[in-house]
Amino acid sequence: MKRTRRLTVIATAVLLALVPACAVERPPAESGGWDDTGEVTYWMWDANQLPAYQQCATDFEASNPDIDIAIEQVGWDYYWGRMLSSFVANSAPDVFVNHTSKYGDYTSRGLIEPLDELIARDGPDLSQFVEGTGDLWVGDDGKRYGLPKDFDAVGIFYNATMIQDAGITPEQMQNLTWNPQDGGTYEDVLARLSVDVNGVRGDEPGFDPRNVATYGLGISYPPGGASGQTQWSFLTATLGWSHTDKPLWGTRYNYDDPRFQDTIAWWRSLVDKGYMPPVEQAVGNEPSQLMQAGRVAVVTEGSWNISTFAKLGGIELATAPTPIGPRGSRAAMTNSLADSIAAGSPNKGAAWKWVRYLASPECQSVVARGGVVVPAIASVVPAAEAAIGAHGLDITPFTRHLREGTAFPYPAAQHAADVETIMESATERVMGGSADASSLTAANEEVNALFTQG
Amino acid sequence: MVTVDTAVAPTSRTPGQEAGGLTPGRVLAWACLIAIIAITLFPFYWMLRTALSNGTTLATAGTSWLPVDFTWGAFRRVLGLATLEEAQAEGGTGSAVDFWVYLRNSVLVAALITAGQVFFGALAAYAFARMKWPGRDAVFFVLLTALMVPPIFTQLPNFLLMRDLGLVNTYAALVLPFFFMTPFAVFFLRQFFLGISREIEEAARLDGAGHVRTFFQLIIPMSWGPITTLALLQYVQAWNEYFWPLLVGSERSVRTLTVALGVFRSQTPQGSLDWPGLMAATLIAALPVLLLFIAFGRKIVDSIGFSGIK
Repeated sequence: MKRTRRLTVIATAVLLALVPACAVERPPAESGGWDDTGEVTYWMWDANQLPAYQQCATDFEASNPDIDIAIEQVGWDYYWGRMLSSFVANSAPDVFVNHTSKYGDYTSRGLIEPLDELIARDGPDLSQFVEGTGDLWVGDDGKRYGLPKDFDAVGIFYNATMIQDAGITPEQMQNLTWNPQDGGTYEDVLARLSVDVNGVRGDEPGFDPRNVATYGLGISYPPGGASGQTQWSFLTATLGWSHTDKPLWGTRYNYDDPRFQDTIAWWRSLVDKGYMPPVEQAVGNEPSQLMQAGRVAVVTEGSWNISTFAKLGGIELATAPTPIGPRGSRAAMTNSLADSIAAGSPNKGAAWKWVRYLASPECQSVVARGGVVVPAIASVVPAAEAAIGAHGLDITPFTRHLREGTAFPYPAAQHAADVETIMESATERVMGGSADASSLTAANEEVNALFTQG
Repeated sequence: MVTVDTAVAPTSRTPGQEAGGLTPGRVLAWACLIAIIAITLFPFYWMLRTALSNGTTLATAGTSWLPVDFTWGAFRRVLGLATLEEAQAEGGTGSAVDFWVYLRNSVLVAALITAGQVFFGALAAYAFARMKWPGRDAVFFVLLTALMVPPIFTQLPNFLLMRDLGLVNTYAALVLPFFFMTPFAVFFLRQFFLGISREIEEAARLDGAGHVRTFFQLIIPMSWGPITTLALLQYVQAWNEYFWPLLVGSERSVRTLTVALGVFRSQTPQGSLDWPGLMAATLIAALPVLLLFIAFGRKIVDSIGFSGIK
């Protein structure tokens, strides 16, 4: 009987141990509060930038002893799913790094705090930001939902040794041209850089496109979804095509446009020609690692991955701008990340102080020295270019788009998550060879129906 | 005195087997066995080889059988022994794995779930196997039907319940949905309890034992083998559980190893992964379960060959 009692006592103790946790009180998310002290939780996804922002937090806490900053890094794949469940569970971070493609879904639900009144009262001066980056954060209701912190552009990374072996000069790489009919010098270069297992190049007779040792172009997979940011958007834009009827907050998408579908069809044809890896080789392999392994010679990528590429050992890398299109100009999608405050935060006063500090030259100078991204504060950009350049890679092919006016903004829109889901599977079907580029017309109808259904 | 024989019943042997002669059949059987073991263990070898490689040069020799540019750096990073500069020099990022915190969380959560499930599962199994009450079979049928419901269907209601109870990001939320019982645990133990001789139970009743005493002093001691097996199975399952801890226990203080490794794997869109770091962390994370198997593996085999009561 003794043993029975002992087990009963243990079981009761375990249950009782769980009870205090049930009594934990959580702040109501609906109302939020304007406390300007306490702990501010801050979420970000890029682990490479974490040390710089940790330093910003340390500096901020030194001058604001009543506020503690708790930074949490959550990988990109889980970031938005976790964000959603945190909003549902009333445990969202006070401040978080926001993305142009995502914040429409939050503003329409009133989940993030508009900053206009705060900015009017306390600053900062919006003219300090790189032109266009601030505008990305004005929602379709005309309110501003974030202070920009950095900006991205797209460019080309290439294996310098491979282009030398192929007889291509760095000057040629700087002045590539492209069109959807024959691919221009861009396709010529990709063909020349593709080498089959017998050592035959893609532009030579006898090239075997099914047994390729080195592909000309490496892609990141899935193939771009709704935006094609680093995959095809810099090509479609040179034809005058744009994703939506308006640069920001459009309500009609243009995936049924022949210019878009011709580009995708050309891009897909690179797989058949043996200049680009087929889906089964692209899935699960990061372009940077395929490049390091000598499997691909050229990769189109975002500026936020420059330090990743620069760190690759064992190969010599260089950068080039995106190709010039039929209209005689280049194009590159730019995007800007911003810090937003959750509407349900119990200490929005402290959160606002932290957001202001994040968007200050003090913090962004620290970020610039980190040499990972280009800050959105214009005065700090040269420092970042120098820091990133210290890795040995020239960043100007990426930033030139801003100086030359050839950058176009990431298409912010409502229903972004649904649009992405539809277009991701539609473009995957095309790239996988189970559908033709013309099938994207049906996908476009599905996307546009999201806006007419309300 | 009731005793339980957990030994495997001896099987008859042919003279040839006793001599250990090398027949072609045996050679073939051994070859197959060795091949299967090699195929099973190869992923572990590949993980170890990757964990001992340098992240910055790993992809330059993707097919090398040996670690590329050998270093212990990945293990040092995972265990928090490397500085930020050292980590970044070897392909790591600014992200650190708070390994010991996540390990503690995983051990605690898995142990609580196992203890709860085994205890309450055994109680329920006893009620279903040894007690007679109206509607018993119907209730058991309903319980078994619950086995058919994919867990994903219950995740959202459970999540909302945890939110309303204010338990998100607490150990309680991680443990509660699995704590009391699962149909599998009840079904598993009921099958063993059914096989226990009724005479022994009746003898105990004649001696004045009630259900509680019969359960704790008769049934439980006679079922240590299956109970250990169930505990181990539940522990491994709780250890590997991913989606639920991701939903309700994503905060660093209660994050389990599986969630931590998932977060570590995905860092920046299209960025390079710290493969050596991930593989080192995964290997170390697999160790506790491996140790459990080494310690209790025999018990499982015994319980599978459970030969009944003498």
